[in-house]
Amino acid sequence: MFGNGAVLERLDKMLEDGINGTFEESDYDETKLSKLETKWLRYLAASKMSYQKTEEERQKLKELVSDISHQTRTPLANILLYTQLLQEQALPEESSLLVSEIRQQSEKLEFLIQSLVKTSRLETGTFQLFPEEQSVAPLIRAVTAQAEAAAAQKRIRITAAPADCTAKFDSKWTQEALYNILDNAVKYSPADSEIRIGTEPFELFVQISVSDSGCGIAEEELPRIFGRFYRGSNVREQSGVGIGLYLSRQIAEGQGGYITAESRQGTGSVFRLCLPR
Amino acid sequence: MDVLRTEALTKIYGTGENKVTALEDAVLRVKQGEFAAIVGTSGSGKSTLLHLLGGLDRPTSGKVFVDGKDIFSLKDEALTIFRRRRIGFVFQSFNLVPTLNVYENIVFPIRLDGNAVDERFVGEVMQMLGLDKMKERLPNQLSGGQQQRVAIARALASKPAIVLADEPTGNLDSRTSQDVLSLLKVTGQKFSQTIVMITHNEAIAQMADRIIRIEDGRIVKGGEPDE
Repeated sequence: MFGNGAVLERLDKMLEDGINGTFEESDYDETKLSKLETKWLRYLAASKMSYQKTEEERQKLKELVSDISHQTRTPLANILLYTQLLQEQALPEESSLLVSEIRQQSEKLEFLIQSLVKTSRLETGTFQLFPEEQSVAPLIRAVTAQAEAAAAQKRIRITAAPADCTAKFDSKWTQEALYNILDNAVKYSPADSEIRIGTEPFELFVQISVSDSGCGIAEEELPRIFGRFYRGSNVREQSGVGIGLYLSRQIAEGQGGYITAESRQGTGSVFRLCLPR
Repeated sequence: MDVLRTEALTKIYGTGENKVTALEDAVLRVKQGEFAAIVGTSGSGKSTLLHLLGGLDRPTSGKVFVDGKDIFSLKDEALTIFRRRRIGFVFQSFNLVPTLNVYENIVFPIRLDGNAVDERFVGEVMQMLGLDKMKERLPNQLSGGQQQRVAIARALASKPAIVLADEPTGNLDSRTSQDVLSLLKVTGQKFSQTIVMITHNEAIAQMADRIIRIEDGRIVKGGEPDE
C-alpha cells in the first residue's frame, strides 16, 4: 500500500499519532505494514487500557480517602463537643487533666482530618482554584489577623511591611496556604520573638516572605518538609501532624506559583510564597 | 525512577606533575521530576560535573546514565544526537541564534532532528514563559531575561529527559534572576521536567528541591535523592 520510501515516513507518522493518541489504521491489505498497523493499534489499546485501569484505581483510592475523612468528621465533632461539656463540670484534678489531654488529641485529629479533606478535594478536583488578579495587602492582613491570637499567647510580634502590589491568586485558598506557613512560624518560634512578613514584587512574580527566628531546619530536611506527614526531627514533641505545608505547596503549585524554604539551624527560617502576576 | 545516575565519575586533567583531579568518584542520582541544584565555589568541579552529565566532555573513568542509557558507551556522533534529543541545555550566555526569531530559536533543535513540532506543547511553554507575544522578535530586540526565557523554552521544547542549566542567571541582574528562576521552577513543576542547575549562589540554590554540594571535586552532600 506504500512505496518503500514512504514506509519509514508512515512508521514515523504511526508513532507520532500513537504518542498523541490519534492513531487510526489507514487501510487493510496483505502488506506487512498493514499487519504492523493492526499490531500497533492492539498495543496502543492494551497500554491505554492498563493506563485507564491505574487511573480508575487511583480515583477509587482518592475517593476512599475522601469518604473516610468525610465520615469521621461528625463523630469527631461530637467527641469534641462532649469533651468540652465534660470540661465544664467539676472534676477531680486527675480527671480534668485527662480530659484536657483528650481534648488536645481530638483537636489534633480534627485538624488532620480537615486538612486531609482539603488535600483530597484539591487532588480529585472537587475544589478548584480560581486565581484572580487582586491586591496582596488584604491577603496578608487576613492571615495576620488569623494568627494573632496564637502569637499573642507567646508574646510574638507579627510585623508586616506594606504591600502595594497585585498578583493572580485564589483569595480563599491562598489565605489557607499562607496561614499554614505563618502558623508554623508561630508554633516553632520562641516566646517574645518577632515574625516578619515581607512582600517583594518582581516583573512576573510577587514574593511574600515569612521570616522567623525559630529553631530552624537542617538542610537535609528542607526538601522533605513539604512532603505529606513529615515532621522535623527537632519538633517531634510539638503538636502538629505534618500536613499544612503539603497543602500549602499544593495550593501554590495549583495556581502557577511555588513555595521555597530557606533555613539555618538555630537562627530561623524564611518561607517564600511566590505568586504569578 | 532515576533519570540521571552516575557511577564513580572521575575527571583528571593533565598528567604527571601537572595532574589536576577536577572530579573524584562522584556518585549522584536524580529522580524524575526533581529540581536539583549543584552548589560549589568556582574551581570546586561543578562545571566539570555538569559537562560530564551532559556528555559535553568525556570522563577519565566512571559512567553517566541518562534515562538508563550509558551515554559514554556512545561514539561521538551518536552522543551528539543523543544530547540533542534527550538533554536540554540552558547556558549562562543564552546561546541563541541571532538571525532566528524567538519561535524559530525555540524549535531549532526539533527541526535539526527533522521532527514535527508539537505546536500545542510549544505554544503552552511559550505562554507560560510569557513569550507568546514576542514570537517574531529577534534575540537582539530582547532583554537579557527575555533571552534566557527563550533559551529555557528551547530546552523544554524537545521534551528532554533532563534539562541542565549552567549558571542560568549568571548574566542577569538579581531582580531579573528571580523572575527567570521562578519561571524555570514553575515550568519544571508543570511539566514534571527534571532539572539540574549549577550555581555558586546560595540564594538561587534555595529554589531547588535538593541541594547537591561539591567541594574540591567531591560531592560532600545531597548526592542521593530523598526517598
